[in-house]
Amino acid sequence: MTASASTHGALDGALALVVELGLPLLSGVGEGLRDAGAEVVASRDPRWAGSREDVDAALLAALGPDRAPALAVLSLLSEETTTLRPLSDLDLEAWRAGAADPIRIAMRVLAALGARMKPAGRGTILFLAPSLSLVGGSGMVALSTALEGQRGLMKSIARQWGATGVTVNWAAAAPRALSPHFDAADLAAKGDAVPIALGRRPDARTEIAALAAWLASPSGRGVTGATLMVDGGEWMVP
Amino acid sequence: MTTLDWTSMAGLLAGRVAIVTGASGGVGRGLARALALSGARVVVAARSPAGGQETVALIEAEGGQALFVATDVCDATAVRRTVEAAVQAFGGLDIVVHNAASTLAKPTPLEDIDDALWAEQAGVSLDALHHLAHAALPHLRDTGRGRFLVLSSAQGQHGGAMNPAYTALKAAQRGFVKALAREWGPHDIVVNALAPAALTDAAKAYLEADPERTREAMKSFPLGRMGDMRDDIGPAAVAMCSDLWRYVTGQTVNVDGGYYTAL
Repeated sequence: MTASASTHGALDGALALVVELGLPLLSGVGEGLRDAGAEVVASRDPRWAGSREDVDAALLAALGPDRAPALAVLSLLSEETTTLRPLSDLDLEAWRAGAADPIRIAMRVLAALGARMKPAGRGTILFLAPSLSLVGGSGMVALSTALEGQRGLMKSIARQWGATGVTVNWAAAAPRALSPHFDAADLAAKGDAVPIALGRRPDARTEIAALAAWLASPSGRGVTGATLMVDGGEWMVP
Repeated sequence: MTTLDWTSMAGLLAGRVAIVTGASGGVGRGLARALALSGARVVVAARSPAGGQETVALIEAEGGQALFVATDVCDATAVRRTVEAAVQAFGGLDIVVHNAASTLAKPTPLEDIDDALWAEQAGVSLDALHHLAHAALPHLRDTGRGRFLVLSSAQGQHGGAMNPAYTALKAAQRGFVKALAREWGPHDIVVNALAPAALTDAAKAYLEADPERTREAMKSFPLGRMGDMRDDIGPAAVAMCSDLWRYVTGQTVNVDGGYYTAL
């Protein structure tokens, strides 16, 4: 599939940074942002999960010393987080790695991005994650804890940085639209004659990327601190 | 505000055994007293012996049964000992209320959150949940009375501008509750979160220092006041831990006088 007419060129010349740790969830999104005209820098540098100095080094390696991205799309989930198993099977080390570390990592990545975006007076940060944490799931206590922690952090930073021109949002996508990793998972399902309003999963390249492009466009700049469901109308959260 | 008539709640938790963390003062003490007034025998789990013993004395003066067990919730061994103490003293464990919060959970800009501050706050908020869940599960499962209640905060829902670590951790606890409710549902254990707006001593001092500030702050509360820890927050916790709420799980309940209504 290719970009729709409405998003093609929406990000002409804009610098988009796509940062991904753990499960590869963003490949389609990066392609979609390119379709929309962005210069996309994709990074899976393990230093994003390190100390603040490591994170600064990863950012330097990705963008050089001075450039501030107009858009950053983030998926910061460790392998431990997305390995699905009961809480009773997690020792303390695995629990910390799965539940707490992704929140701490998100703090460091946000701080590094803010140091570039805030002086530029603009920037859009979008966390993209499976919608699992909004409904929970057996075997997903660490995942749900980490994601909801990151989502709470997103809201806090959206408030803290709003006046600087930097927006921060959260896109909760249908898990199986992001990765076949979730195909085998025992996911919570919406019991309804029409469980998914659109009857299909969203397409990462044309539909999830389009949401990111819109948020970074002038017409999307009024949205911050929001949780945007991209699941084809499955959960319809209150 | 008048004191609640607890006779309507008497016996709701008769025969139940509860552990309340961070019960040496503040919200935890209010919850421990409320559970005891409803018939539960309560283990007051806290680091401070003085405060913990004071809570026990208050409960006993109100006709209840309680036991103080010195507990650092960040220490898995200490948490396990506390659970064992509850079982030994009172014959079982039905209810776990994780209320303890870090004393360092004060407004800190994102850039100033160092590893030590994070470790302390994450320890009390998340490590403790791990320890409590592991230690309590064998006692809570398959009795139909198992309750695991986590004290979260509206900040985890609407985002607190100046306190990103606290906001993130309180939101994380909501994620924990939603997933664990699904995981423990087959064991007939109810898992929920409660987000209070409590008139703690700190809140009272902050508000009393400036009457104009109080008037402004109270505009956010349709009921016009913050909640009494025992008589406003406590009854909701009692209901959530009783049979009355046995079919409610995975939820965050705001007990806040109408402060947060955006859901």
